[in-house]
Amino acid sequence: MASDGLKKEIQNALDNATLSRTLGNFCKTYPQRRLNVYKDVDFNEVQGQIKEVKSYAAQHVDEMIEKFTANCEKRGGHVFHAKSTEEAMEFVRNLVKEKGVKSIIKSKSMASEEIHMNQVLGDDGVLVQETDLGEFIISLEENTPVHMVMPALHLNKEEVADLFTDYTKTKNEPIISEEVKTARRVMREKFVTADMGVSGANVAVAETGTVFTMTNEGNGRMVGTLPKIHLYVFGIEKFVDKLTDARHIFKALPRNGTAQRLTAYLSLYTGATQVVTDKETDEKETKEFYTVILDDPGRRKILEDKEYSQMFNCIRCGACLDVCPAFALVGGHVYGSKVYTGGIGTLLSHFLVDEERAAQIQNICLQCGRCKEVCGGGIPITDLIMKLREENVAKNPNPVKKFALDAVSNRKLFHSMLRIAAVAQEPFSKGKPMIRHLPMFLSGLTDGRSFPTIAQVPFRDEFPEIVQDVKEVKGKIAMFAGCLLDFVYTDLAKDVIANLNSIGYVVEFPMDQGCCGCPASSLGDVENATLQAKMNIEAMHAEDYDYIVSACPSCTHQLKKYQEFFEEGTEMYARAKELGDKAFDFCKLFHMLGGVSNEGDSKEMKVTYHDSCHLCRSLHVVNEQRELLTSTPGVELVEMNEHDNCCGFAGSYSVLNPEIAGEILEKKINNIKDTGADVVAVDCPGCMMQIRGGLDARGIDIKVKHTAEILAEKRGLV
Amino acid sequence: MNKITDEMYDVFKAGLEAVNGVCVRASKADLGKAIADVFAQAGIADTCIVETPLMKEAGVVDALKAAGIEVYADHIRKNAETVKGGVTEAQYGIASLGSLIQGRDDIDERLIATMCEYYIGIIKGSAIVPEYDDMFDLLCELPELPNYVGFITGPSRTADIECVSTVGVHGPLCLAAIVVEDE
Repeated sequence: MASDGLKKEIQNALDNATLSRTLGNFCKTYPQRRLNVYKDVDFNEVQGQIKEVKSYAAQHVDEMIEKFTANCEKRGGHVFHAKSTEEAMEFVRNLVKEKGVKSIIKSKSMASEEIHMNQVLGDDGVLVQETDLGEFIISLEENTPVHMVMPALHLNKEEVADLFTDYTKTKNEPIISEEVKTARRVMREKFVTADMGVSGANVAVAETGTVFTMTNEGNGRMVGTLPKIHLYVFGIEKFVDKLTDARHIFKALPRNGTAQRLTAYLSLYTGATQVVTDKETDEKETKEFYTVILDDPGRRKILEDKEYSQMFNCIRCGACLDVCPAFALVGGHVYGSKVYTGGIGTLLSHFLVDEERAAQIQNICLQCGRCKEVCGGGIPITDLIMKLREENVAKNPNPVKKFALDAVSNRKLFHSMLRIAAVAQEPFSKGKPMIRHLPMFLSGLTDGRSFPTIAQVPFRDEFPEIVQDVKEVKGKIAMFAGCLLDFVYTDLAKDVIANLNSIGYVVEFPMDQGCCGCPASSLGDVENATLQAKMNIEAMHAEDYDYIVSACPSCTHQLKKYQEFFEEGTEMYARAKELGDKAFDFCKLFHMLGGVSNEGDSKEMKVTYHDSCHLCRSLHVVNEQRELLTSTPGVELVEMNEHDNCCGFAGSYSVLNPEIAGEILEKKINNIKDTGADVVAVDCPGCMMQIRGGLDARGIDIKVKHTAEILAEKRGLV
Repeated sequence: MNKITDEMYDVFKAGLEAVNGVCVRASKADLGKAIADVFAQAGIADTCIVETPLMKEAGVVDALKAAGIEVYADHIRKNAETVKGGVTEAQYGIASLGSLIQGRDDIDERLIATMCEYYIGIIKGSAIVPEYDDMFDLLCELPELPNYVGFITGPSRTADIECVSTVGVHGPLCLAAIVVEDE
C-alpha cells in the first residue's frame, strides 16, 4: 500500500495538468508510432540479438573491462576502473583539479547522476552545464528527470519561458521554436569556452575500446568535439564484446525510445581524437580522453543473481515507461528515483540509487506486463518487480495483509467468513453490487470503497442441483471457479457449464478448491501462495480430468504458475505441472474444443472487447474470444482504443492505489464510450467488476458481460 | 564500389527528406554550382569548408566564390563560431536512412558538421551503401576503426518541450546532402 508521502506525490502528479496532457498524449500515441517505425525491422529478432550480446557481456564482464581498457589505452585513451561510486567521483574530482578545469559541458549520463557529479563539482566551484535541452530545463528548475528519455515532460512552454527569463534576464516568450533558439544561443557560448566535456555511453565495445553516444540535438557531438578534455562515465552494464554486436542496440534504441529509425547523431569514439587547442593559431593536438568505468557493489549485486542479472540487458530506451498505464498518469517523479524512472527504473533504483525509494514505488507496478512485450532487452520487468516485492514482504511483512492472506489460505475459515459476509453485508451494500478483490475485502483494506455483494447462495452449494444434459459425452472437465465465480458471479459459473455441456463435455466441481493464490502472489506473499497451490493441486486432482476450466484469467495464470512453487523432480511438481498443462481459460478451451458456431438469436448487439492483462499477456489469448464473438450472428465487434490497456483493477491494486486505478479506469471508460457499443465483452470477472463499477458510477448504460455469458445468452443455453 | 543507381538515389533522397533534410544530385562538374544554389536558396552568404581531392577537382571553392559566397578554408574552429554555412565530404552514406557517415578523425570536418547553421555534406554516389547493416559490416571490416565515426541523419532536432518536434537545436538547423555522380 502506498505510504502517505507517496500518496501525496501521486495526487500532485494527477493534478498536474501539463504532465497529464503531454505524458498522456505521448503514451497514448506511442504504441502505434512505435509499430510504424518497426516496419522494416523485426523487433523480436532484434530483441533476441540484444539479449544475446548483452548477456554474453554480462557473463564475461571482467573480460570486457580488461579488453576495453587495453584497447582504449592502445588508442591513446585513459581508463579508470572505479570499484565504487565514491571512487569514481574521487577520480573525477582529482582529474578536474589537476587539469585546472573551471567549466564542464555535459551530454546526458545517468551514471554521472549516480555519483552526484554535478553537485560535488559544483560545490568545488566548477561550472557544470547540462546541455541536453530537457536536462538543461530541469537543471534550471532544480528538479530531477520525469522520464529517462524526455526529462522535462512535466513542464509546459509557459513554465519553460519563465525559467529561461529568469536565467537569461531577458523576457522569453512561450513559443517553443523561440525557446529552442534561446537554448542554442546560451548553450553555444558554454560549448565554445568549456574546458572539459562529459558524456555517457550508450554502448562500450570491448574489442575496439569504442564508446557510442546517440543524440538528436547535437549536444553530444559538441561535447565530444570542442573541449580539450573528454571524459566518459558509464557503468559495466554498457559493454558488448564486438563492434558488430552494437548494431542491434542501435536498431532498437531509437525505435523504442522516440519512434525514430535512427536519431540525428550516432557517434563512435575510439580513443583520443583530434582537437583544436588554440583557435587563433589553429593548433591541433590529440585530446585528453578519459573513461571511468563504474563497477560499484550495486552492479555486482545485480550480476550475482541469475534473474536480476537480466537487468544488464537494458538499453535505456524507456519503452517500458511509455507503455506503462501507471507511468502515463504519474510520471517519473513519482514512479522513479532521482536518477531512474518507471518499471526498469524501480529495479535499477533498488540496486544503484535508493533501496527505500524502490521499496515504495514498486507498489505502483500493476503487473499488467505491457512493458515486457516492448522491452528492447527482453527483460521480464514485471517478474523482477514481483521478485523485489516478494523479498520486501519476506523482510517486512505487513500484519494487516498477512492476516488477510493467512485467512484465505485456510479454505474453511475463508469460506465461512464469506458466508457470514453474505448475511452481514446488507447494511453496508446500499444496494450497489460492488466488490473489490475478496481477500482484500476481508482485510479491511476496502476503507472508503463500496462493499461487495456476496451471493446469498455460493456456487459450490448450487452446483449439486445443476442438471447437465449432455447427449454424446466427449470428455470430463473440472471447473476451477475462483473466489469471484464461487461467491459473487455464480450465474456466470452456470453459463460456463452450459456452454461446455453444449459441445459434449460434462463439468465437475471439486469441492475442496479455494482461492487460487493470485492475490497472495501479487502482494509478494510466497508462503501463502504456496499453501494455496498445494491445497488446490490436491483438491482439483487434475489426473482425473481431461481439462481444467477457469473463467478467470488471473486464476488460470496462477494455476499454470503452481509448478514454480515446488522443486523439480518432486511429486508435487509433477502434479502441479499436470494441473498447469490441463488448465485453460474458458474462451481458449471452448474455442479449442470446437465451440465456434454460427448459432444464435441473430439479435443485433454492438460489442467492444476489453483484453484482460493476464489473458492477453500471460496466456496469450487474443483471437479466440474474438472469433467466438464475431461468428455469433448479430454480434458486431468494434475495437476500442487501447483495448489491451489495463482497466486499473489488477487484483488488489485498485484498493492499494485507488488514485491511479481510478484514473486508469477513467481512460478505459472513455475508450469504451467512444466505440458506441452496447456491450463490453470481457473474459475476466475482476475486469468485469471494475468496468461495471465505473460505468455504473457514471450512469452510463453500457452492459459489461463475460464472453461465456454472451454466448450462452445468444445461443439460448440459459 | 559501383556507381549509384537511380533507384538507390531515390531511396536515399526519400530517407533524408523524411527527416527534414534536403537532397540534391550533381555531376562532378556541377558540384560547386549545386552547393552555391543550396546556399543561395537558404540565404547563406558564407561558408567554412574542408577541401578534399574531389572538391578540388570539381573546383568547388572557385565556384562558390564566383557565386558571391565568402569561403573560409582554415582556422575552422574560430570561423565556425560566426560563419553560417559549412561544407565537408562524408566518407559513406546509408541509402535507406538518408544518413551521411563521417568516417575519419578530421577535427575541422567534425567542427563544421557540428557547429554551422546550414551543413552540406558531399557524398560520392558510389560510397552509399543500401542499408544500416551494410554500414556496420563495412565498419567491422576496416583494418582499424577510425578514432571518430559519426552517423548524421538530418538536421539536429528535439521534442523536449511538450513533445513538440522542433528542428535545429545545438547542431545544424538545416542539412543538405549532395550526391556526386562518380564512376
